[in-house]
Amino acid sequence: MSVAERVRAYRDSDFAIIARRTLRNLLSERITRFAFGVLLVVLILGVVGPMIAPYPYNEQQTTASGELMRYEPPSLEHPLGTNDRGEDVLSRLLIGARTTLITGLLAGGLMMTVGLSVGMTAGYVGGKTESLLMRLVDFMYGIPFIPFAIVLITFFGAGFYTTIAILGLVLWRFIARVIRSQVLQIKQRPYIMAARASGASTPWIMRKHILPNIANMAGLFFAMGVGLAILEQAGLSFIGVTDPFTPTWGIMIRNANQAGRVADAWWWSFPPGIMIALTVLSLYLLGRGYEGGGDDEVVV
Amino acid sequence: MSRLRYFARRTAVTAVLIFLVASALFLFFRLMPGDYTSLLIQQGMDPQQIEALRRKWGLAAPLHVQYVRYIVNLLTADVGQSFRYGEPVWDLVAPRILNSFVLVAPAITATYIIGGLFGAIMGRRRGGYLEKSGIITVSAFHSIPDFFLGIILIAVFSSTLGIFPTSGMLSTPTSIMIQDQPYWRRFLLPEFWKHYALPFATVMLYFMQYPALIMRNSVVEVSDQEFLHYHRLKGLPESTLLRKIIRHASLPVVTLYPISLAASISGLVLIEIVFNWPGIGSLLVSSVLARDFPVIQFVFLVAAVWVILGNFLVDLLYGVLDPRVSVSGSDGE
Repeated sequence: MSVAERVRAYRDSDFAIIARRTLRNLLSERITRFAFGVLLVVLILGVVGPMIAPYPYNEQQTTASGELMRYEPPSLEHPLGTNDRGEDVLSRLLIGARTTLITGLLAGGLMMTVGLSVGMTAGYVGGKTESLLMRLVDFMYGIPFIPFAIVLITFFGAGFYTTIAILGLVLWRFIARVIRSQVLQIKQRPYIMAARASGASTPWIMRKHILPNIANMAGLFFAMGVGLAILEQAGLSFIGVTDPFTPTWGIMIRNANQAGRVADAWWWSFPPGIMIALTVLSLYLLGRGYEGGGDDEVVV
Repeated sequence: MSRLRYFARRTAVTAVLIFLVASALFLFFRLMPGDYTSLLIQQGMDPQQIEALRRKWGLAAPLHVQYVRYIVNLLTADVGQSFRYGEPVWDLVAPRILNSFVLVAPAITATYIIGGLFGAIMGRRRGGYLEKSGIITVSAFHSIPDFFLGIILIAVFSSTLGIFPTSGMLSTPTSIMIQDQPYWRRFLLPEFWKHYALPFATVMLYFMQYPALIMRNSVVEVSDQEFLHYHRLKGLPESTLLRKIIRHASLPVVTLYPISLAASISGLVLIEIVFNWPGIGSLLVSSVLARDFPVIQFVFLVAAVWVILGNFLVDLLYGVLDPRVSVSGSDGE
């Protein structure tokens, strides 16, 4: 198959058609267009942020006379001022964009993989498998995330990727629940029965008939998963149990709060807080902006 | 399957689930490398003393003996002693649970009432400005990390305006003054309410999203039903109409309420840390750092049982509130 043929085959595949339709739906609303814009900015910052950061993020800034520049308010040289150690806040914010992005995408991807597998299997296979898997989901829902994560982190150490793994391996529960209920509905449709009657295998039906039908919903729940992961990671950073050497937005807020300088050195804690809020809000709006998108489920 | 058998089955499943969680918690914490004594070794304690302590706390026995002992103790409502303080875990945890409950239960309840009403109004103004801005507002408050929300409130109302105290539940002189009085007396002091305002507001703003959005969706769905056209033809005013809609639309919100109450335990940890609230969340964090297993284990058990019972109640409520819900499905679908 030539490249052109491959491209054409992809363009006409179920997934591409559904992806285009979903995207068009999302872009038709002003709110979701705004959300897309914000995410695009965060994505670009995550890629180029560390390169365009004006200073090394942990370099202590000094004045010409060699004095440490602590709590410097925003100026031309330091657009977001400096923190308690005299480090440039803007540079730290830009570095933090990448760690946030990596956390969100990896943990979100992990959540999606586990949640989709569990949800689809439970929904389609049914019977004892379903009961067992859904009890597992209930069990996962019984885990209060932040306390559990703190225990696991003291157990496995506060590595950057350890935190991501913990986020991904616990928070998939809401995805599994929604996907299962969706698959249960799709399973009843006549064309699935027709496919089964004509001898299609279970993997084939899942891949060809069920997956394309839940693809857009899965995509939206991926967005919400990424948002949730970013939020929870910020919370863990704030408690101070994540890797202290990886600069994240949550740690910036923690440091400002610990120093008791939230109100007067506002340029230190507010930019990371606003960035987290904007990013997560955009992801949630994408996930919800599309009506009928499993909105009765709670994201815990 | 008859309704009675369905309830019986659900009860049995719940009991088994609680037992499994208790066992899982035991295994999980015993498999963690290092127990409380390893911290004492770091602090330079004499090995012989530590051995004596391990024997005293029952840490020296084989795992299965410890497990049987643990289950028997749980059944007889004995949850052990804190390694750190040497006090019974229950005496340590009980006031903390009360403090957390006093914070979270009224806050979540108020959130569900106000958020539900707001959601209903949003649902009635479908496509209008109020609905669009309302959805964004409640989503925005749920996107700001809850700890940051608390920090902002402290920065504005405590540090800058000086209206509310920054942290804690009572000022130190007051808590010393009332320590001989019954515990509940503190909740009646005006000073307590001043400390209460900001954490309460934080919980409310953060959790407003669920009831508001779910009520909105539910109201939108109900609004399309025919009985409403009939009521409108009768000439009922909008306020009466809204009341009728809310009665029909509130089922999903009502069933979510216990779940939300249970799930808020996780978010509560951060809010308690920010406001230095002497609740179960901040106790848990400090206990984890000190490896005080009996306390951690019990707090986790309380949290898990709380969630499981919440789900159980929801299942039962569904059957009672909405007779259309079939109980013939394998799991009460």
